[in-house]
Amino acid sequence: MRTVLCIIGVALATTFVIAVGATTMRYTTVIKEMNVLFSGQVMVVSKDAIIIQAIPIGGSMLPQSSTVEKIKNIAGVEKTVPILFITPIDIGGILQPVPVNFSMGIPVEDWQLILGPTPLKGNVGHFPTNESSNEVVVGASLADQYEWSVGTKLNFSDYELEIVGILTTKLALLNRCVVMPLKLAQKIYSSLGSVNIITVKPLQGYSQKNLTDTIEEQIAYVSALTEDKRNDMIQPILAQVETWNLGIQTVVFIMSLILVMTVTLMSVSERRRDFATLDAMGAPLSHVFRLVILETSLIGVLGGALGIFFGSLTALVLASLYTNIPLAQFFPSILEFVPPFYMLEIFVTIIAVCCLGGIIPAINATRMRIAEVLRAEY
Amino acid sequence: MRIRTTDLTRIYRLGQSEITAVNKVNLEINEATFIAIVGPSGSGKSTLLHLIGLNDYPTQGKIFIDDADISLLSSRECRKIRLLRMGFVFQTFNLLPTLNALENVELPLALTGKPRKEQREKALRLLEAVGLSNRLFHRPKELSIGEMQRVAIARALANDPEIIIADEPTGELDSKTAKEIIALLFDINRKEKTTVVVATHDEKIVDAADTIYTIQDGVLRLEG
Repeated sequence: MRTVLCIIGVALATTFVIAVGATTMRYTTVIKEMNVLFSGQVMVVSKDAIIIQAIPIGGSMLPQSSTVEKIKNIAGVEKTVPILFITPIDIGGILQPVPVNFSMGIPVEDWQLILGPTPLKGNVGHFPTNESSNEVVVGASLADQYEWSVGTKLNFSDYELEIVGILTTKLALLNRCVVMPLKLAQKIYSSLGSVNIITVKPLQGYSQKNLTDTIEEQIAYVSALTEDKRNDMIQPILAQVETWNLGIQTVVFIMSLILVMTVTLMSVSERRRDFATLDAMGAPLSHVFRLVILETSLIGVLGGALGIFFGSLTALVLASLYTNIPLAQFFPSILEFVPPFYMLEIFVTIIAVCCLGGIIPAINATRMRIAEVLRAEY
Repeated sequence: MRIRTTDLTRIYRLGQSEITAVNKVNLEINEATFIAIVGPSGSGKSTLLHLIGLNDYPTQGKIFIDDADISLLSSRECRKIRLLRMGFVFQTFNLLPTLNALENVELPLALTGKPRKEQREKALRLLEAVGLSNRLFHRPKELSIGEMQRVAIARALANDPEIIIADEPTGELDSKTAKEIIALLFDINRKEKTTVVVATHDEKIVDAADTIYTIQDGVLRLEG
């Protein structure tokens, strides 16, 4: 019974580690992914913009035409793309504690530059071709959740939009995004003539750093961010999150070690006659030692396996609660959420922790002598 | 196997006081003999058996096995002697509760690294010899006291020991079962030429032993 409780204790610890670790990892991955869309480009935003990686979540808009014109005239600029990025977008009046739905307006001629070679699901549909059309493409995750397909009509702020394609991508951001022509986005979000990001592609061989310095020098109301700078802004936060995560894992593993050690010490103490009998029979010390370590490692194997299973489920439930995305939608991507290598890493660690927890009880077991045990009993 | 002790002494410390459990014992155990050591509770019988069974270390004196001084052997070498050349039978049987009868008997064979098939065949043979071929897969708690002691004897015989050291093997048994166990031990001694040393109160054992020692307050005397 005590061993069963110990296995449950180890399983709970592993569940906690997996749930917290996988959730943290998921969010840091998503944040890191945000830069992928604008990789190799300078990002220009309003001076007072609040941004996470490449995503503005607050601050003023930029006047599109004049700002783009000014940037184009700066030496070293090959291409500029104005973008209107909106988050969170309200679908069905659902409150989102963590923004999970986004909308992006991109000039139709520049879609490839921003989205890259993102295919459409089932090769059905097409990307919008007309800047003033009401055609949009949506991420596969959004489409699955709301059962949208090519041809579905959407009502967005009194505008009727038509889905003409569903994006198939591994990027969480695009999976949850409604992408539309820039002018359409500006109409829908009442931002005519304004954008909140202008991406700038430098000429080949031209330094991003020099370009940002020049842009900020010549246009007083903007901030220009290189890819490195965007990473540097978020890196300390991500590092801190990872440190906290590591700290929590360490504490949980130490508690598991103490639990396994205590339970095994009690178990060895109760079975001292058995170990002493083994000693009297001439069992090698290594045999007795291995026996105890094998027991604790089995606790680790059972507790770890249960913990990984329930931890993965908990991570999905947490993600579903935070994002309001139905749980069922996460199941197919469970291995993306809790990567197999992470499962293996935690599984091996918890077994190692349990083996470590068995060392002192195992040493105790090798010290049991029949003469002393029987003398103590009589 | 011949065992000889010279001035063998074992003193325990209990807080401030010292207890001399075995006091300058000179004992000689020759091959294929049946020796009974008789004495009241607390007289030092078990301690003496633990000493000659290399399960305890003397405070003074020496133990010789085939004229080799045991004090010069390492703990590992002593274990090897216990495993390969000695068999132990305890008053309380000391069977491992999680193993069935067959597995308990296989255990000493497994410790020597014998192949699985050989372990199984030998254990089956031994359990048949002690009349337990119908109780192979029963765990100790499912066996009667007499059956448990039979399993313990079969286990003690597993590695064909040269000596069996039995600490009050009939102490927990009713008279009928005790008689059977005594007969079994004598049988082993006579047929296999295995030396048997028994600490006992049981007069039936005493009557049939080749050599009888009495022990009182740790002092051993030869009775006959």
